[in-house]
Amino acid sequence: MFRNILEKGRRLAGLGSLVAALTVAAPAMAQDKEPIVFGGSIPLSGVFAFAGIHIHAGLTDYTNWINSQGGINGHPVKYVMEDTAYEVDRSVAAFKKISGSSSPATYYGDSTGFMKAIASELNSQGNTLMSGASFATVLTDNETYPYQFIPGPNYSQMFGIILEYIASQGEGGDMPNVAFVYSDTEFGKDPIENGKARAAELGIEVVEEIVTKPGSVDVSAEVLKLRRVRPDYVVFHGYVLSPINEFMVQMRQMGLDTQFMGTFWSSDKLIIDKMGADADGYMGVMPYNYYDSEESGPMLDALRAQAEKSDPEAGYRPTGYMQGWFNAMVWTEVVKRTLDAGKELTGDNMAEALASIEDWDTGGIIGIPVTVRDMSFPVGRIWRVNADEGRYEPVSDWIHLD
Amino acid sequence: MDWLFFGEISLAGLAMGGLYALIALGFVIIYKATRVINFAIGEIMMFAAYLFLAFAGGMEMSPWIALPLAVIGGSILGGVIEKTMIRPMLGESPISVVMVTIGIASILVGLVEFIWTADPQLLPNFLPREPVFIGELYLAPKIAYGFLIGSALLIIYLLYFRFSRGGVALRATASDQAAAYSMGINVRRVFNMAWVFGSLAASLAGVLVAATGGLSPQFGIIGLSVLVVVIVGGLDSILGALVAGVFIGWLETVAGAYLGGEYRMPATFLVLAVILVIRPYGLFGTHEIERV
Repeated sequence: MFRNILEKGRRLAGLGSLVAALTVAAPAMAQDKEPIVFGGSIPLSGVFAFAGIHIHAGLTDYTNWINSQGGINGHPVKYVMEDTAYEVDRSVAAFKKISGSSSPATYYGDSTGFMKAIASELNSQGNTLMSGASFATVLTDNETYPYQFIPGPNYSQMFGIILEYIASQGEGGDMPNVAFVYSDTEFGKDPIENGKARAAELGIEVVEEIVTKPGSVDVSAEVLKLRRVRPDYVVFHGYVLSPINEFMVQMRQMGLDTQFMGTFWSSDKLIIDKMGADADGYMGVMPYNYYDSEESGPMLDALRAQAEKSDPEAGYRPTGYMQGWFNAMVWTEVVKRTLDAGKELTGDNMAEALASIEDWDTGGIIGIPVTVRDMSFPVGRIWRVNADEGRYEPVSDWIHLD
Repeated sequence: MDWLFFGEISLAGLAMGGLYALIALGFVIIYKATRVINFAIGEIMMFAAYLFLAFAGGMEMSPWIALPLAVIGGSILGGVIEKTMIRPMLGESPISVVMVTIGIASILVGLVEFIWTADPQLLPNFLPREPVFIGELYLAPKIAYGFLIGSALLIIYLLYFRFSRGGVALRATASDQAAAYSMGINVRRVFNMAWVFGSLAASLAGVLVAATGGLSPQFGIIGLSVLVVVIVGGLDSILGALVAGVFIGWLETVAGAYLGGEYRMPATFLVLAVILVIRPYGLFGTHEIERV
């Protein structure tokens, strides 16, 4: 009897050892498969470095996290990048170098300029899917850019979300009016024409358009123009911080009760950190939950845990980090779908896999299931700065454009 | 025509022009005394503004202590640059010296990115925030007080150059280096003094402009806008720097208000092109005739 029990115990122990050995071996087996390469032209220096270092951290942390989960269908993921200083020629050189040596399945482009410049080469190679820092409307033209997508709404769609929110604030048929303030750059001008058309459709009057020089400028003359039209809302685009602060402070000094809104790159916590109490009430459209929001979900929790693990001292992670992580998440989903369909990782197959994404649960990174439309994720939410709490809080439901 | 609006726009432009004049003054002092076109002037402004940020923001000093410290820091930087990098270039071709100043600009950008990161910054508020009205005309307080502080330094400079021994030495060296040397003026010291004074004016302007428009490692680009001012006014004319600074500031603002922000730079460059055709040496610059 005792010997029988001992024998069963030995067998169970043996089975347990086998299971344990297999569990330990699984990641090792994953390492035996060909790695899937995420490439990147990353602006770790230069004018966009303030975001680039966080984008890089997001991509690195996601790569480490997915490898800790066994990679993609058993393939380990390798992240290969070069610093570009946000210069198109260096980004192109980095792409050529990385695509020549590592054959990346997916690639992070650091600017609209680079993504436009590399399009013909990307199209002729036909084996890499690209996304990146750009939300440019032009990149959602599938004829010209079949292998590039936007990891969120494009700038025109961001304006669409903002304008839908503004329209929803109209009371008793009294629709608010709006002024657009944007920088004199390709980035700044991107959504303006589409924004005006969408405003007209919604019955919102665009009472003023202000174009400013990029960089450090005095905007007091522009503020004087806005004082005369007294807009209910001012929507900024093409800035990170300045001159948003000066518009807000000076217009409030004049006693205007205008509300101020901005798009992705001007809706980071940087605005709160630098403006302090003056940032109170500023609103931004954001496709992802903020790192310090009260929202949760399995992927958002994993992101926070990985961020904490990789740098416990870092604290809050900016929107660039969320954007880098989300890019890599989409790449993973696309590669997985392509491999699951038994297809090769070509640009066409991956673009097809991307287009098939419908009602995708992002695990809390985006608060609702998302569907890809024209190579973008046209979803976002309006968040408002609570300066006392030092963070953005949601003031609208998630808005998914059709 | 809304004359009130025109008046307010003009006032804002003139005030901004005052700050341009201050930067241009820094440029002209250095050129006048040493014949060096300092392409690093914008980056010296930037460095002083970052120093202010460090003193008033990081170390939480009173802004009114941080301001002179930052300005002095910027002027010391100018002096050090002259002594260590420009002086060894004496006798070399002007192009080589210009290239050195471009290199210095690049080094300063790298240095501030290394110390303060590439994040955009806002300076701590130190100017009064109550709106300023001149009659019925509104003027943004930062611009108004920035103009007053800048004007105070301009007046001190003009008095110094007119009446002090150092100012006379500087003017003498600017007119004729050999004659100044033969009269016992320490020309090398004058060169260094010109860089210190020029950088001091630029540093004060840097802090005042950054207080209005924010700060980033790309802040130094404003130095290029001021290049238009000094060419229009005349590279070696202090009066030209003052007049052209105020005029270009006004023109830029009025063009921006009535034609749109995208026409600010074309308007000023149009003036530059016209001036270069009519008076290649600038409105008040010295017309040098070279006989070959």
